[in-house]
Amino acid sequence: MSTRLLVQDLGHRGYGEVLELQRSLCRQRIAGQITDDILLLVEHEPVVTLGRGTRAGSLPSSPAELERRGVGVFEVERGGDVTFHGPGQLVGYPIIDLRRHREDLHWYLRRLEAGLVGALRLLGIEAGTRSGLTGVWTGGRKLASIGIHVKQWVTFHGFALNVNTDLSYFDLMIPCGIRDVVMTSVSRELGRDDQGGLWEETRHAVIAGMADALQLQPVEETPPQQFAKPVAFGEATGFSPYHGRFDPTPLA
Amino acid sequence: MPTNVVMEALSPTMEEGRLVEWKKQEGDAVAVGDVLAEVETDKAVMELVARAAGTLLKHIVEAGATVPVSEPVAVIGSPGDDTGEGGKRGGGEAGAGQRGSGASGEKDRGAAGQRDSKESQGTQPSPGQSRPVSMPPAPPAGAATEHRPSPESPSGSKDNGVKSDSPAPARDQQAEPRVKASPLARRIAAERGVNLVGITGSGPEGRVVARDLEGVAAKAQSSTAPPPSRPAAQPYTDVPLSQIRKTIARRLAQSIGPVPTFYLTTEVDMERIWEARQAQLALSGAKGAVGKLESGEGGRDVSVSFNDITIKAVALALRQHPACNAWWQDDRIRYWNEVHVSMAVAIEEGLITPVIRHADQKTLREIAAESRDLAGRARERRLKPEEYTGGTFSVSNLGMLDIDEFTAIINPPEAAILAVGRIGQKAVGHEDAVVLRRRMRLTMSCDHRVIDGATGAQFLKTLKGMLENPLTLVW
Repeated sequence: MSTRLLVQDLGHRGYGEVLELQRSLCRQRIAGQITDDILLLVEHEPVVTLGRGTRAGSLPSSPAELERRGVGVFEVERGGDVTFHGPGQLVGYPIIDLRRHREDLHWYLRRLEAGLVGALRLLGIEAGTRSGLTGVWTGGRKLASIGIHVKQWVTFHGFALNVNTDLSYFDLMIPCGIRDVVMTSVSRELGRDDQGGLWEETRHAVIAGMADALQLQPVEETPPQQFAKPVAFGEATGFSPYHGRFDPTPLA
Repeated sequence: MPTNVVMEALSPTMEEGRLVEWKKQEGDAVAVGDVLAEVETDKAVMELVARAAGTLLKHIVEAGATVPVSEPVAVIGSPGDDTGEGGKRGGGEAGAGQRGSGASGEKDRGAAGQRDSKESQGTQPSPGQSRPVSMPPAPPAGAATEHRPSPESPSGSKDNGVKSDSPAPARDQQAEPRVKASPLARRIAAERGVNLVGITGSGPEGRVVARDLEGVAAKAQSSTAPPPSRPAAQPYTDVPLSQIRKTIARRLAQSIGPVPTFYLTTEVDMERIWEARQAQLALSGAKGAVGKLESGEGGRDVSVSFNDITIKAVALALRQHPACNAWWQDDRIRYWNEVHVSMAVAIEEGLITPVIRHADQKTLREIAAESRDLAGRARERRLKPEEYTGGTFSVSNLGMLDIDEFTAIINPPEAAILAVGRIGQKAVGHEDAVVLRRRMRLTMSCDHRVIDGATGAQFLKTLKGMLENPLTLVW
């Protein structure tokens, strides 16, 4: 049994295409065509995603305002309320078969938190979790958000850690449905803004933290054949402003 | 054999899950492993998968409800199966309390659960003593004259004092318009009280997505914070449909739509019944003690009403005309050998039809006592499901409200209903003279698939004859 965690850094990619890639990988994992746990890392263009737990008032911004700022909107199948992804944010999508770990959603959510807390410790930030408020916090400020979908115990969606994100994007919404939440970033917490260096450090820390939390050996790879290209299907057309037409119907 | 689908523990520490969206609708075929629904707990969404094959007979909870682990959420079985016991149930306890506090937000999956936080009860024909072995499917409830009450919830804790829903058989489902909408759109609509019907969806296949609700949403928001200079005086009040209202609406539409109904009206001379009843009243008034003894109702005197007399007469007439004592069963007609008369009772939220079983075999006094008891408990919503299901013919009486005559809507699967008007004095020809007589109009609504014109007319003629000759009711 493999205990590898294949890490694939997709770089700068649109939300829609990576969403399709995740769905495809999840399907392949369920079908047994993939046998390794995978961690996709990506930096998205600005996008707001609305999870299954989104409340009516969580996205007060008008479509026009979002469009003006070049922010797309997706309704997706993950748990949780509204959130933002964009430049400067390290997004991780673990495609993990929980049957090989524990068939326990809460365990998995706590592992994701632990992985991020571990990563932040490596970076010199004392972070922790808050009961009932899934995510990673430091001093009452929120550093990372988590929202997942699980299909036949295979996970997708995942976490988003603000590295040097333009935090004003979060003003467009009520992130995670928590009023008055203060979002922060690694850069802000450390008082550092040496973009390239900090990004690389964070990336490595997150890979190490996640692998440790899931008890897997990280293997960074160039894209293996099986997911070198996103599998396009349906209406997945990648990024577009206010992508309301995107149908979040999960894997058939 | 129907199988319950339960809210599964997606984690040992999970106590409840929010049913986000149904992926299979009532009536859909289901194979083992099919995704039935999405369930959200904490920040995770997982799919609820079928463990049994068959037909999804019933959603016990609606999308948006929060359901404790291992509580049933749906029933899978064969199309004919009785989904019996569990009615639709809202699990939504979690939504309400925490909503105001922002910080508790993440755990709180919001208001969606509230929508349906009402206990309810399924219907099942009484497993009565002398019924045929093969039980009919639960008589779909809630037609013109039916409404099911909310029996006291056993725990007493969840019951907000309302509601019910009909676990209608799968075949009934197409009657309900289904709007394609994303779970988020549904949720937003529910929170804002927006009806998705009539909203044009911009998603694939016209699916309504959150964006489509924006215009509507904006209005809703502005109305929550009216400018102080202009006090909010809404010209109307929107009341979301309660489950019972929905059920009544659906069932009535279903009835008047597919049921080819015709109406027969006759006028009955009530003079002799009137006299008989006056005599009986005088008797029980003068000899109260005797009346009490005879009533056998723990000393409570029971006066026999015209409605009781009508029910008794209907039951006896049905004995002679079994063709009118029948259920339409889609592929067959079920002629009942027993006579169970449903009587429509108006209650606060609608109406309900408690059933007087074996009404043909009961004395007037027994019927009077039973109808009084049933009607009383119906108004207190304390009827058991078997007490308001399984009727074979309905009687609806608006005479006490001064209605001369009316047409009632059939309560499927029953094939007919009798609408009873008021008893009033009229100038009529009688024994070659115009005289004042007490008269009562009866209108029978008949399902033409079961009852033909002459069949119904013969029944009415018998009924009229009995009412005009009250001794036939005693003999």
